[in-house]
Amino acid sequence: MLNSLFRLLAAISILLAVSGKILMAAPAVTYVLETNWGSQGSTPGKFSEPTGIAATDTEVFVSDARNSRIQVFDYHGNFNRQFDIPGKGHGEPGRPMNLTIFRDEIFIADYWNDRIQVFSLAGKFLRSIGTSGSDHGQFNSPGGVAVAANGDIYVADFYNQRIQQLRPDGNFVRQWGSTGETGIRAGKFNYPTDVAIAPDGTLYVADGYNDRIQVFTPEGRFSHKWGGPFAINIHGPFNGWFATVTSISIGPKGNIFVADFYNDRIQKFTPDGKFLNAFGITSDGPTHTAIAVAVSTDGSVFVADYMNHQIQKWRPQGKE
Amino acid sequence: MKHIIFCISTFVLLWSSISFAAGTQYDLRVDGLACPFCAYGIEKKFIRTEGVESVDIDLKNGVVIVKTSEGKTFKEDQLKEVINEAGFTMHSMVQKPL
Repeated sequence: MLNSLFRLLAAISILLAVSGKILMAAPAVTYVLETNWGSQGSTPGKFSEPTGIAATDTEVFVSDARNSRIQVFDYHGNFNRQFDIPGKGHGEPGRPMNLTIFRDEIFIADYWNDRIQVFSLAGKFLRSIGTSGSDHGQFNSPGGVAVAANGDIYVADFYNQRIQQLRPDGNFVRQWGSTGETGIRAGKFNYPTDVAIAPDGTLYVADGYNDRIQVFTPEGRFSHKWGGPFAINIHGPFNGWFATVTSISIGPKGNIFVADFYNDRIQKFTPDGKFLNAFGITSDGPTHTAIAVAVSTDGSVFVADYMNHQIQKWRPQGKE
Repeated sequence: MKHIIFCISTFVLLWSSISFAAGTQYDLRVDGLACPFCAYGIEKKFIRTEGVESVDIDLKNGVVIVKTSEGKTFKEDQLKEVINEAGFTMHSMVQKPL
């Protein structure tokens, strides 16, 4: 009985989504692929599985995961510099994922070594935050990181199924989610991959395998969520639906950009979750083209293309 | 004649010792490997497992290829457990000597 009801709800949701897509007016702003750069390899300017991206006013920083390094480019894709992300032991590699820039520092989620590594923008190692484990201040494969205006650090702690808030020195403040337990109710997570913090302290979480975004107030209370019908882990290809969210970024006007991995696209929303745009490069498998997203102050959208070992640069056309 | 027999015996002995000294390759079929958060999690688990020399992910065929060091073998249940800890289910396994 419940199963039939669930199927009926899903069918109604799909009908509504499809009809909504047909009736929806064209968005005022569209995104056009301006350029892309890179190919598979290990020399400067090439990538082996780019998995994270961040931008300053002039440069783009890319997590080049299998090469265990960060590469830095100008906005046209010209290579500027690179620096290695080391592992814990001598000669061991790091595995950089989503990353963020705060003031003059870059914070990198090191998935393999259970820590956040902090570098200067020039590539000088500054410090490391966290150790392996599930206690407060420890991580089990951090997927993404954000930094609030006061310097507090927010980490998507992937295998621990939680988001942690830490002081700049790594001291634990609080967490969202139950350590090691997945869930689809509000405030629970299913392999969270990334986080973003708005200027007012609102926390946005890419709740990876729950196929949704969850939002928490600056005080830490659950606010709202979106992604498919009821945002309860129902995935799909329609506008506002997801198929594994792997990265989240906030644009200069406060809109939310989400990497929708298995749908090969970036989706753009208002802060309350209203769908605005979707754009990307389709793939024919076996893997996919949009794993990470960053938005610069001029509105350019940079995308890490995992499948093609490239970076895409999209420009908005039209007025919001 | 004695020289020939000695040479053949030496070759056979060397060949057999190399064969016995080599490790094992396990091809593990796992669904959902297209996302690197998944694939890297499996890699991370295996690379920290004692006796594992290398881990490769064949995304196209959904196969995790684990190579072990000399004399190291795993039971199927041990491999399943590692895959489970990474959040996945192992569907089948092919074992072959290196």
